[in-house]
This record gives sequence, structure tokens and C-alpha cells, in this order.
Amino acid sequence: MEDLGTYAENTWCPGCGNFAILNAFKAAIGRLEEQGIGRDRIVLVAGIGQHGKIFDYMNVSGFYGLHGRSMASAQAIKLANPDLKVVDFVGDGDALGEGLEHTIFAAKRNADITMILHDNGVYALTTGQYTPTSARGYRGPSTPTGTVEDPIHPLPLMLEAGASFIARGYSGELEHLTDLMVQAVLHEGFSFVDVLQPCVTFNNTWREYNQLVEITDRTATTPEEARAIFSRTDRLPIGVLYRRDDVPFHRRLYEDFNPVRDKEPREARQRRVAQFLGVPEEPEREYKGPRERP
Amino acid sequence: MERDVFTFIVGGKAGEGVKKSGSVAASILADLGRNIFQMDDYQSLIRGGHNFSVVSSSTGPITSHHLRAQLIVNLDERSYHLHRQEVAEDGILVYNSDVMSEAEGIGLPMTSEAKKFPRPDLRVGVASITVLAAALGLDMDYVEEVIAREYKRDLENNVAYASRIFELARPKIGGRFPLERGNATGKAIYGAEAIALGALAGGLDLYMAYPMTPSSPILHFLAAQGRPFGVHALHLESEVSVANMAVGASFAGARVAVGSSGGGFALMAEAFSLAGMMEAPVLFILASRSSPSTGVPTYTEQADLKFAISVGHGDFPRVVACPGTVEEAFYLTADLLGLAWRFQSPVILLTEKHLGESAMNVSLDPFRATWAEPVLHSDVGGGPLSTPSLGALEPAQEDGYRRYRFTDSGVSPLLFPPSSQVIKWNSYEHDEYGITTDQPEPTARMHEKRYRKRQAIIEHLRGTKTVNVYGEGGPVIFSYGSSTMSVLEALRTGGIQATVVQPTYLEPFPVWELERYRGSNPIVVEQSVAGQFSALIREQAGVSSDRFIRRYDGRPFEPSELAQQIKEMM
Repeated sequence: MEDLGTYAENTWCPGCGNFAILNAFKAAIGRLEEQGIGRDRIVLVAGIGQHGKIFDYMNVSGFYGLHGRSMASAQAIKLANPDLKVVDFVGDGDALGEGLEHTIFAAKRNADITMILHDNGVYALTTGQYTPTSARGYRGPSTPTGTVEDPIHPLPLMLEAGASFIARGYSGELEHLTDLMVQAVLHEGFSFVDVLQPCVTFNNTWREYNQLVEITDRTATTPEEARAIFSRTDRLPIGVLYRRDDVPFHRRLYEDFNPVRDKEPREARQRRVAQFLGVPEEPEREYKGPRERP
Repeated sequence: MERDVFTFIVGGKAGEGVKKSGSVAASILADLGRNIFQMDDYQSLIRGGHNFSVVSSSTGPITSHHLRAQLIVNLDERSYHLHRQEVAEDGILVYNSDVMSEAEGIGLPMTSEAKKFPRPDLRVGVASITVLAAALGLDMDYVEEVIAREYKRDLENNVAYASRIFELARPKIGGRFPLERGNATGKAIYGAEAIALGALAGGLDLYMAYPMTPSSPILHFLAAQGRPFGVHALHLESEVSVANMAVGASFAGARVAVGSSGGGFALMAEAFSLAGMMEAPVLFILASRSSPSTGVPTYTEQADLKFAISVGHGDFPRVVACPGTVEEAFYLTADLLGLAWRFQSPVILLTEKHLGESAMNVSLDPFRATWAEPVLHSDVGGGPLSTPSLGALEPAQEDGYRRYRFTDSGVSPLLFPPSSQVIKWNSYEHDEYGITTDQPEPTARMHEKRYRKRQAIIEHLRGTKTVNVYGEGGPVIFSYGSSTMSVLEALRTGGIQATVVQPTYLEPFPVWELERYRGSNPIVVEQSVAGQFSALIREQAGVSSDRFIRRYDGRPFEPSELAQQIKEMM
């Protein structure tokens, strides 16, 4: 496989959980290519945060969007050209804080994109503040005596919002994570992968996760079953935890239409506007060049 | 020659179909071949309150509503009291005798007759247009035709009701206004429709918006009419999403436009800068209402000019232009979509409620609309364009596609996914390939590349019409946007000779066209308490003035009043 890296200098801390996500995605692209999905069709989208640097480190086309807003941009890339496979790498502060509305709406619409959440419970790029998934009592520079808020649990949130594919992976299980990414990209509809990802500098959870994480092949097909899996606190099951088949957003809007590929040429479009306006059209009419205004 | 302006006003509560009555009245006057101008005045509520629609018509050109009306039909008592002063000397005031006691004018039992049919509230609007047809001397057969065309739902009851009103009205007002026919052509459309149609003619693929008055009619029109064109209008969760989606859609190659008003556009400001940094071609439509904040949401003002020109953080080029007429709105929208794609920059079509929600008949030629075309990588090829690359790149990538390739014009050729070449759009400062950088030299060079586009835009605009000049001699009057229509109508109404100068482009500002007006001490007409437009022409083009006509009560200028104000300044 051709190298998927770039000349960008990697500035993640040694031991960072992001490396596993980067390497898993590189491996996932190889496996997707084996299944006929070329890397030319894959668009990597990212928000702002340490996670977002994956944009610079991957030699695939992409869109490095705004903090919290990449979920909106990712949906539109798919809407503009449904032939593309859109994978949006987001952070927990990014997608569950500033960008929560877009995350919920992407799931609500069953937008056919993959959201990979780098879930480390900390704003690393801005030096260690608590995030929406940080545990109550988390101490950071903005909460020196510990946050008094309870965390958001992304899995049940995405389930209630309408996600049709919900998985949890772990940076300590590279092969498993690769497999989850492949399945998520292949899933038609909104696929969400919550990646437990330790931040060695501000929130080192390697030891805790190594004790709690447990691979499962049990996939819920009803919300009730899924809720039972998500509510476990004694163990952290990883795998595809819930999935259902449903028509994705772009198909609900326009079935097999592709706005970019199926666009009518200029003359056909302008003829249509002329018809709408009741403007008499000359059949052999040609473009007359820029008009002069009065 | 005396102008033969005929004005019809219909007033009533929200929910009584007042706007619809206005549109139908416009179509009746258009059937006579007359030029028409319709303005809808409504409050931010669903039922009750006071709405009215004014339709003025003339055999000659007409670019504004007049409030002095020949025929006023009031469906409720409040309308009667609000509009009774507006009846012209030879005019007729018609009121609904079921909702108020004996009054001056002609009373018709609009409600009690309507009660003979289901849903009487919705039916009274039909009375107003029946009264108009009777007063114009048109017959019941014609009224039936109009109803069949415009009030298809519940057709039979509508015709039966109209016949009854027609019988009651004819003896009192029948044939009172035998209007001269004209030879106007073109369909009556609202400014918002002209904008939407201009975008369609210009190659639009996707439209995104969050509902906000007065930009919503664009969304509604494209949602209802776009599909046969292959154009989809999406109502999304917020303006923040709208703007970020638009940039994403343009990355994938879709011609995209978004629309909002002040508050919603403020939410788009962050993604407006994103579009500037990514060099994303996106057409932003900013339909101004009376502001600040929530303001007077269903009324008009021109106080978003400075906001449009300076929105977004950081230095980057953009284009801002504001159409002066409904006709210009059509072509300008297509032009701006084209400019967005030609220069890969965010572009703003600035307009106002008064243009968006006023209708007039216009003759448009869709074949003359600009078509949005990108400069494509495949057209240019992969070779070096002008400036050498940054270096420090992997040799294998040296010949690859560079999204942000340095060029003399600042415009780098586009390529869309799927592609064997890697395409990177980056919100961070970046090198030519789109990889993040914070190094001083690349940062400065990329700033310069982006900013070179401003000069390229200016060079392009120099070869096009950026300023409209109407009339000659007399005082110089500066206006822009929909105020231009008011000024032109005021000049016709008052028989005033003047030179009206209307810059269509506001950023880059066409100083090359305007410098000649230095020292002209123009009368500056605008709808802003602070005089943003007069400040702009002074600061940018050195055209100073001490003669201002400003309105900021949310209402558009009325031509007779404006003519009087202009005369006082001459």
C-alpha cells in the first residue's frame, strides 16, 4: 500500500491515543480499497483540536473545518456529491460542546457520513480544560476545584438522536478499531464511532481503560437492547453496539440524484428559467455575452 | 403628459388573505397591460393586527408604490381608520359594513355575505378584488376567469360569493375608473423571486437557509420551484450550520447560496471568514430588515451596509453588491454567483425587505445571466503557473495538485473530489498544498496570494457596469439598493430633473466611476439613521455632502413625500 502520510511534522505527544486512530484509519483505507472504495472517493473532514491534526497527517483529500462545525460541512459534502465517502474526525469538546447541534442533527437526519469521536475527556490543544465528557470533579485550568457538571454520554445521546450505527472503539485495540472504521464507512446512514482515547498529558486513562474495555460482538438491533449495553459501567464493551437499516438523508431528499454529477448544462437551465418566466425562447438562441445595463 | 398612476390599497387583519388580494389586484392591472408595483406591509404575527397591500400601476414606467390611492378596500375597522386619509381626491373608500357602523365611503356587507359559505374569514379577500374589477368597469365573466386562475381552491363558492359582491358593488362604483391600457410586458415577480431566479439562471445547485424574515421568501420559492431545475433548498438547524454546510458543498463542487437577515447573518460571520480562508465560492444573501437585533422584523431599512462590508475576522477579499431594482436583482444575483466562482471568494448580495417583498413586472432575459464557472485545474494543467512553490515539499508531491498554488491573480485552479490528486481545504493558515503552517514566511505569502484577488476583482469590475446613472442634469442624487426605485419614482411624480447615481457594487467600491462626482454635493437618500451610505461615498470616493434624506421608521420612501423633500433641498 502506498504511503498515506504527508510531510507534515507530527506534533502529538508520544503515547497519545490519536496515533492509534491515525494508524487504524490508514489501515481502514487499505481495506476499503480492497472492497472497491478507492481513496479518491474518501473525504477526510476534521474539526479543530488535537484530533484535527489528522487532516495534515493523512495524504487524502479533506476539509479542515471549524471547531464544532465540521459535522455541518461534512453533511454538505455528502449532499453535494453522494458518490463520496465522508469521514469526519471530531473531538469531544468540538462535537459535543460547540458543535452539539450539528452532531445531533446529523444523527437525526441519518446523514450518510461517518463520525469518529476522539473521546479523551479533555481539551488538549487549549491545555487541559474539562470537556462535555469529562467526569464530574475533573480538575483543569478552568475548573481548579473540579467541575461540578456531570458528563454527557455520547452513545445514548446518539441513539436518541437517531444514529443508525453506533460503535465504540479503543485506541488500545488497533485491529479492532480498524474493523470498526471499515464497517462504519460501509454503513449507509449515520455511523458513529466513539473512540476511547487517552490523553497522556492531561487525562491519562490508559490504565483505567485497559481494565474496563471488553471486546463484544453483540450488536443491538433495538433501542432497548442498546440502552442496556450503553448503561453498563462495570465494563466498557467495544464493538458495533447498535445498528439498524434506514434510508439516509440524501436519498430521502433526492434518491439517486447527484447535484454535482447530474447538473444540467447552462443552456438547459436557462431555457427552464425562460419557460418559468414565460419568456419567448428562440430555439437556436446563443449566449450573447454579458449584457449592458441601462 | 400627465401620468396616469392608479393605486389600489387593500387592508385587513393577518389571516384575511390581504397579500394574496394584492397579488391578484396586480394581476388584474397587469391584464390591462399596465406596469405595476406592489408592496406588502405586514406585521410579525399570524392572525389579527393590520396588514395591507398597495398596488400602483401606470401605462409608463413605475418603480414604487404610492400611498395616495384611488381605490381603498378595508376588510376590517382598523384598516378603515388607518387608510381613510390616503384616499385620493377622486378616490373611493370601501369598507366592510359588517364590522363597523355607518362611515364615510361605500359600505359592503362583505362578512355577512361570506358567512353564507364555509370559512368566511378566508373569503373576504375575494371581495376586495371583485370591488376592484367592478370599479375598473370589468365584467363578472372576467372576475370569474381571475378567480379560476388565482383562487382555484373552493372555486365554486368563491365565484358565487364574488357574484354577490359584484352585484352589490356595481351600482355604486361600477366603471368609475376606466383605465387606459398599456403595453407592458413581463411577469410580475417579487424581488425575492428575482433573486432566486437569478441564482437558478446562474447555475445554482443548492440553497440553504434557516427561516428569517425577510429572506424566507427566497427559501420558500426555491423549496417550491427548485426541483424541476435540479436545485434543492434545505431548511437547516441554524444559520451556523447553513454557512458551514455551504462551504462544505462548495468544496465538493456545488454552486451554493445561502440567505438570511441581520441576526442570522451575524451567526454566519465565523463561516464567512472560513470561506475567506478556504477560498470557498459561496453566495451569501443578506436581506436587511429594520435593525439592530430583532428590530422591527417585517419592515425595511438599509443599516446593514457596514456590517456586510466588514463582516468576518481577518483580512480577506470579498464582494458586496446591492441591486437597485427587481430587474437588477435577477442579473446581479447571477453575476455574484459567477464572481464567487471566478474568484473563489465569499460574496454578498445585500438587499432589503422593500426589494425582496415588493413585486413589479419585469422583462428578463435568462440567456443573458452570468453562469458560474470555476477556473479548473484540468483547464490549466499541473505545470507551474507563475510563482515558484514554497519548497520543503516531498519530491513525490512536487508535481501534484496544489489547492492554494501561488498565481499572479491569486486565484488557484480548482479540482473536486473524487480525484486521484489530493485536495485539501484548510481553515488554518496553510501552504500551497493546504497543509497547516504557522511559519512567518508562508503565512505572509498566503495572505498576499489571497489579497491579490482583490485587485483581480477590481480589474474585472472595471470592465463591467458597477454604477447605474439615471437621468441627466439637475442635482446629483446618490442612493443605492431599493431606495433607488423610490427616488426614480419620486422624480417622475414630482416632475424633477436630476441625475441619480446608484453604485451597485459596494465592496470593492467603484471609486473609479464615482470620483467625478467629487464637489457635486449630492443629495444622499438612504434608509439609515447614521447615514452609512453617505459615509461610505465620502470615505471611499471622496464625495462629501451636506444634503441628506434619511428614513428609518421601517417604511420605504413614499414618492410624493420624497419628491417634496428633494425639492426642498434643490
